[in-house]
Amino acid sequence: MKGGLQVRDLWASYRRGPDVVRGVDLDAARGSITALLGPNGSGKSTLLKALVGLVSSRGQVALDGEDLRTVTPEQRAQRVAYVPQRSLLSAPLLVHSVVAQGRFPHRRGLRGLGHEDQKIVDTALQDADIAHLACRPFTELSGGEQQRVLLARALATGADVLLLDEPTSAQDVRHALELHAILRRLRERGAAILVCLHDLSEVRAIADCAVLLECGTVHADGPADEIVHDRHITPVYGVELIEGGGLGFKLARGGES
Amino acid sequence: MSRLQATWTVLVLALGVAVALSFFVGEGDLSNEALRSTLLRLRAWRLANTILAGAALAGAGVLVQGLFRNPLASPSILGTSAGATLGGVLVLVLWNALLAARLDWIPAELILPVGCLLGAWLSLTLLLAVTGRGASIVTVLLTGFILSSLFLSLGSLLMSLAQNTWEMGRAVVAFTLGGVDAKGPRHAALALPLVAVTSVVAMGWSRHLDLLLSGEEEAQSLGVDVDAARRWVIVWASTLTAAAVAIGGNVAFVGLVVPHALRPFTGPEHRALIPASLVGGAAFLTAADVLTRVLPTAGTIPLGVVTGLVGAPLFLILLARASREGRIA
Repeated sequence: MKGGLQVRDLWASYRRGPDVVRGVDLDAARGSITALLGPNGSGKSTLLKALVGLVSSRGQVALDGEDLRTVTPEQRAQRVAYVPQRSLLSAPLLVHSVVAQGRFPHRRGLRGLGHEDQKIVDTALQDADIAHLACRPFTELSGGEQQRVLLARALATGADVLLLDEPTSAQDVRHALELHAILRRLRERGAAILVCLHDLSEVRAIADCAVLLECGTVHADGPADEIVHDRHITPVYGVELIEGGGLGFKLARGGES
Repeated sequence: MSRLQATWTVLVLALGVAVALSFFVGEGDLSNEALRSTLLRLRAWRLANTILAGAALAGAGVLVQGLFRNPLASPSILGTSAGATLGGVLVLVLWNALLAARLDWIPAELILPVGCLLGAWLSLTLLLAVTGRGASIVTVLLTGFILSSLFLSLGSLLMSLAQNTWEMGRAVVAFTLGGVDAKGPRHAALALPLVAVTSVVAMGWSRHLDLLLSGEEEAQSLGVDVDAARRWVIVWASTLTAAAVAIGGNVAFVGLVVPHALRPFTGPEHRALIPASLVGGAAFLTAADVLTRVLPTAGTIPLGVVTGLVGAPLFLILLARASREGRIA
């Protein structure tokens, strides 16, 4: 492994509820995209939240060997960035201001963005292909554009571990493909990317590795092409892959095509 | 000129006009040289207290609205104003006993404000103790609501007891309706450090409040210690509210209307909204205090009544406009 995120025996739950993530082990290496897959309710989003301390959890979460559970929230935010599926922001903050929030863990006091911060924010806007939206209110953007803004904010943190929760769920096909290109560029720069995906064709398209979750536990993990295979998918999702010409599914056990 | 600069220009002008009117409007003849300096001195101290109370209420309003991600929240939501009012009413009811206790270390005119501060801080302590670390914002909201109801009920009980003595009943009613008349340098000296220090410190939390606009999860993922931020913002908002009630009594709507009215002009970022609201609150309450002196009534109308009469319709207009423009669902 080239360094990156290491998770061992992670358990997570919402407040005092039952464990949603149960004893998960996974690695997200630098310079790679790792896909988290699994049916609804399998614990994908909860796992991502546990990695950034948003839900109560126990187990080991280390980055390059350093225990992330003992660092301050600011130190963690400098190293691991989380992109939620959608934002709860309902105030009309300008896109530039939202992206600049990514500099929060690096800034102190009341002073505005420094020259270096400004450069990083501009680069993040460009990397996420939303520089043209910088002066628009966040609340006036489409769901897909808002997801790009959240990605840019994560990039502005300077973290080289990115956790993305279904980043293409609100994107049309073209924008989804553009997002794939952005993620590949980030991978080439050495980022460790862990991304929840529902669309299995996307997993094959962009992921190097995949972790298949079922009821909060790891059903299988390995190279993405091997995981997105009947051998693993059928028992978990109850569907069979239709190979050739495209990627499709049919219900297993006598369901409709 | 940017929109923010234009907003600041209007705010400073509004405050300037309100301050000028505050000096020159009211009972008493300024052309009488024997009275002029006394009248101006009294009005200056009344003005100073009005500015402090208005700024404190509006500042508390911004903090509470940011904390709850709700532009319709008011400082009373935390229960602090009810606690401060209860403290004040209790002092009035026990007035004779307190005077008999010979509290020489405190000037007589500060016994009431200090009672308000103690009531507010009791309320704050209970709120923080009940909610504890890790409580959800809904728990904070419900606890504040329940504390507020409890303190208002206790205050009403004391008020009903106070009706047995006409003078005491009158004093209690006058206090609960709010007002800054007869407030002097000692009141201002008591409130100034609280308002000034708290406002400056609260400004330091403006970036946290901006991040909290996106919800607690997003804020936490970006490095905000949400629990600490929430508790400190509650402390600052409560302190500002306590200072305002201590010098102005129960004045409604300032903390609700002023930040709500200014947000479309300053934008939602707290670095701009907090200082603008401090000035806007001072201008609004000073103008309301001038109105209490010029309305054609037999006696002076309580300040809290005027802010309610002006604030409620103004708030409805703002609300209707925000709803029409889709800023509020």
